[in-house]
Amino acid sequence: MTDQGETGEAITILLVEDDAPTCWRLQDALVKAGYEVRTAGTLGEARSALAAGAPRVLLTDLRLPDGHGVELIRETRQRFPDTEIMVISALGDEESVISAITVGATGYLLKDAFPTDIATTVRDLVAGHSPISASIARFIVRRTQSSSEPPPGPALNTAKLTPREIDILWGIAKGFSYAEIASHLGLSRQTVPGHIKNIYRKLEVHTRSEAVFEAVQQGLIKL
Amino acid sequence: MSEIAAKAPARPKRRLIVSRLVPYLLLQALVVIATVLGLQLLQPSDPDDFALSGFSLREDGKARPVTLPHFTSSRYSLADPPLYTGAFTFKGGDAGWSVFLPRFSNAVEVAINGVVVLDSRRDTNANRPDRNTPEIAAIPSSLLHDGSNEITVRLFVWGPLKGFLDTVYVGPDAALRPAFETRTLLFVTLPVVFSAWQSILAVILAIMWLMRRREPVYGVLAAAMVLGVIQAFMPPPVPPVAVSRLASVLLASAPIESALIVVFGVLFFGWRWPRYGMLLFAPGLIVFAVGLIAGPPLPRILFLLLGIPTVGFSLVLMACVTAAAVVRRQDAASLTIGCAVTIVLTCWIHDMLSVFEFVTNERTFVSRLSYSAMLVAIGAGLTWRFARALNQVDGFAGQLVARVREAEERLKASFAREEARARAAALANERTRLMRDLHDGLGGQLISIVALSERGHEGATITDAARAALKDLRLVIDSMDDIGGDLMLALGSWRERAAMQLRPHDIALHWRVATPQGLPLHPELRPWHVIQIVRILDEAVTNAVKHAAARHITVTIDTRDDGHGPYGVISVADDGGGFDLGGGGGEAAGANQTARGLRNMRSRATRCGAVLVLSSDRSGTCVRLQLPQVFPDSDAAAG
Repeated sequence: MTDQGETGEAITILLVEDDAPTCWRLQDALVKAGYEVRTAGTLGEARSALAAGAPRVLLTDLRLPDGHGVELIRETRQRFPDTEIMVISALGDEESVISAITVGATGYLLKDAFPTDIATTVRDLVAGHSPISASIARFIVRRTQSSSEPPPGPALNTAKLTPREIDILWGIAKGFSYAEIASHLGLSRQTVPGHIKNIYRKLEVHTRSEAVFEAVQQGLIKL
Repeated sequence: MSEIAAKAPARPKRRLIVSRLVPYLLLQALVVIATVLGLQLLQPSDPDDFALSGFSLREDGKARPVTLPHFTSSRYSLADPPLYTGAFTFKGGDAGWSVFLPRFSNAVEVAINGVVVLDSRRDTNANRPDRNTPEIAAIPSSLLHDGSNEITVRLFVWGPLKGFLDTVYVGPDAALRPAFETRTLLFVTLPVVFSAWQSILAVILAIMWLMRRREPVYGVLAAAMVLGVIQAFMPPPVPPVAVSRLASVLLASAPIESALIVVFGVLFFGWRWPRYGMLLFAPGLIVFAVGLIAGPPLPRILFLLLGIPTVGFSLVLMACVTAAAVVRRQDAASLTIGCAVTIVLTCWIHDMLSVFEFVTNERTFVSRLSYSAMLVAIGAGLTWRFARALNQVDGFAGQLVARVREAEERLKASFAREEARARAAALANERTRLMRDLHDGLGGQLISIVALSERGHEGATITDAARAALKDLRLVIDSMDDIGGDLMLALGSWRERAAMQLRPHDIALHWRVATPQGLPLHPELRPWHVIQIVRILDEAVTNAVKHAAARHITVTIDTRDDGHGPYGVISVADDGGGFDLGGGGGEAAGANQTARGLRNMRSRATRCGAVLVLSSDRSGTCVRLQLPQVFPDSDAAAG
């Protein structure tokens, strides 16, 4: 199960995880799948690793000893727009995943995922398919519905999502497979993952001023 | 006080009445004295220097000397009236002489040296016997000559009252005019002023009554005042009036008016008006009826016989009513009205005495004037009372607003307290539930991991336990999310976890949603319902993996409706070997574990009001969970 980029070179992955056993486990799974993996245990190490060159994929934990993974994701997204970014989460909860998505991550990886799933997820990501869970989809669609009072949890602007994208999210939240969603909505099965990546991109807040603008738009900040 | 009265009813009560009545009567005696003195003092003084008292009266063809003031007999014909002839001395050089008649009834025609200078019959007000209208007339100087001059006064009388002629004054106009002005002010202008007040008060009281029909007292008083005003401004029923019949009808106004005042008094002091009290209106109505049918002078005679006594009787009644009110209420209003009634009564007696010539030298009627004054006073008092009541209402409304605000604030505070309490209770409940859920799953699994590690187990067993623990943790976290009553959202997450669990075992998970909606919405769905349902499904999948060696698991989600509303059905079917539901035979350990798992599933289903049906044979096992139409509010099997 070896995966190669279009150039034939091995796909480089920067894995940022402070818990050594978890790090080993993920690294093993990815190396076995044929990826070139560099690891970092802290934000500082990750930055120096990035300075050495842009990886194809960045996998990062959020809680790091010397800072927050969100910083790293934002920096990477700005400096290396071509790098695919995924957040590593223990529970796949909305809090961590959504905050990562809003700064530019396009997926998440569960720390206890089976090795084959880990490899598959990274491969799909590189192929342009962003993974999404039912609970994340549920969180996003519920934000599209919510009225005056913003629900608890990270701020999220769903204004740019199209009705079709919201329908797709509903399908995912209710446990339908991509194929089922595609047939319900009259889409081709292959286009659904692309829609999901689009959704992630639309949820991304690019700059600080844009974040403020979005917050004002949503009534989170009163001027 | 009422208690004392109840214990010893008769005596103390009587004593109380006496102790209150006596001072009141004494006070009224003082009022009578004051009124009499006041009437004496207010008697306008006339210029005595120019008085003419010695006259010769020619009546019915006979002449005799008389001294003014003089009463003549009553008569009903205007022809051949009594003729008074007298003489006065005019001194040349005095400019502008006048003749002044302070009081006469009913009309006079004055001639100086045979030339008429004054005929009061043309002045309707002067003709009223109840008004003491004075007359003055300038004597053209050409008529006067030095020395003795003759004055003749023809006195017209219409019965039944006797004719009356007060002293006649002849002298310089400047000397007579002030006395005339004083009398005009007292006996002409003042009644008009009072009548104007009455008409205004009548309008105000009528409006009050129209707006507050429950209080007829205002209406009664307004009616009395209207009658008074009409009576004051209509021409009197004496010749030469044009509409004599209408005028005689108006004679009835005085007794009706006085009866109305009694009604007012009774109602004002809070008594019920007795039905036989209507008899009080009878004399007035009789006069009215006679006035309609017969022409003058019969109504006038009737008025004298019926009307005037009725007025007096009404006044006496009113005095009694007010006295009773004073005894009962001891308040300012009853005392004031009592004094006013006494004053009017005194004036009425004064007038009666003068009519019957017990007081000979004057014939000034004051009862009408005092009555008008009393009405005005009562009206003003009522208006004042009304305004005070409005103020009280305002105050009451203000108090009410303040009270309501207070109550509202208290309510808000208690609501906030209640809310905080409810929140705390909900939090505590949630904590209890979370504890139980964690205890049921995660806790046990972690302990099992500890136990396995201590016994030196390695690999798969510990991994399985830890994975189960993580799965359960995710389930607990997931179930806390608000899914808005849509169980499909919880099942969506569960599908992901189940697929992840099944992938290493190479078991395919088929997901079949029979209806596009999936399951009906349940607004009453709570996290603990979700957790129970998901655990049942978990158990079913785990059984299929562990004990049935299945290759395919099919989850079917369907909505049924038997006509009693929709309900959901979730079934988990595998193609494994099945197992013995009876629990007998088979390998002991596995069977026991399965049996316990089944028991757990059933109890969880019961808690959510769901029905669990298990079927198993060689071709596979099917767990069918029929959800309730409405999820139960409380966890019946908890604890």
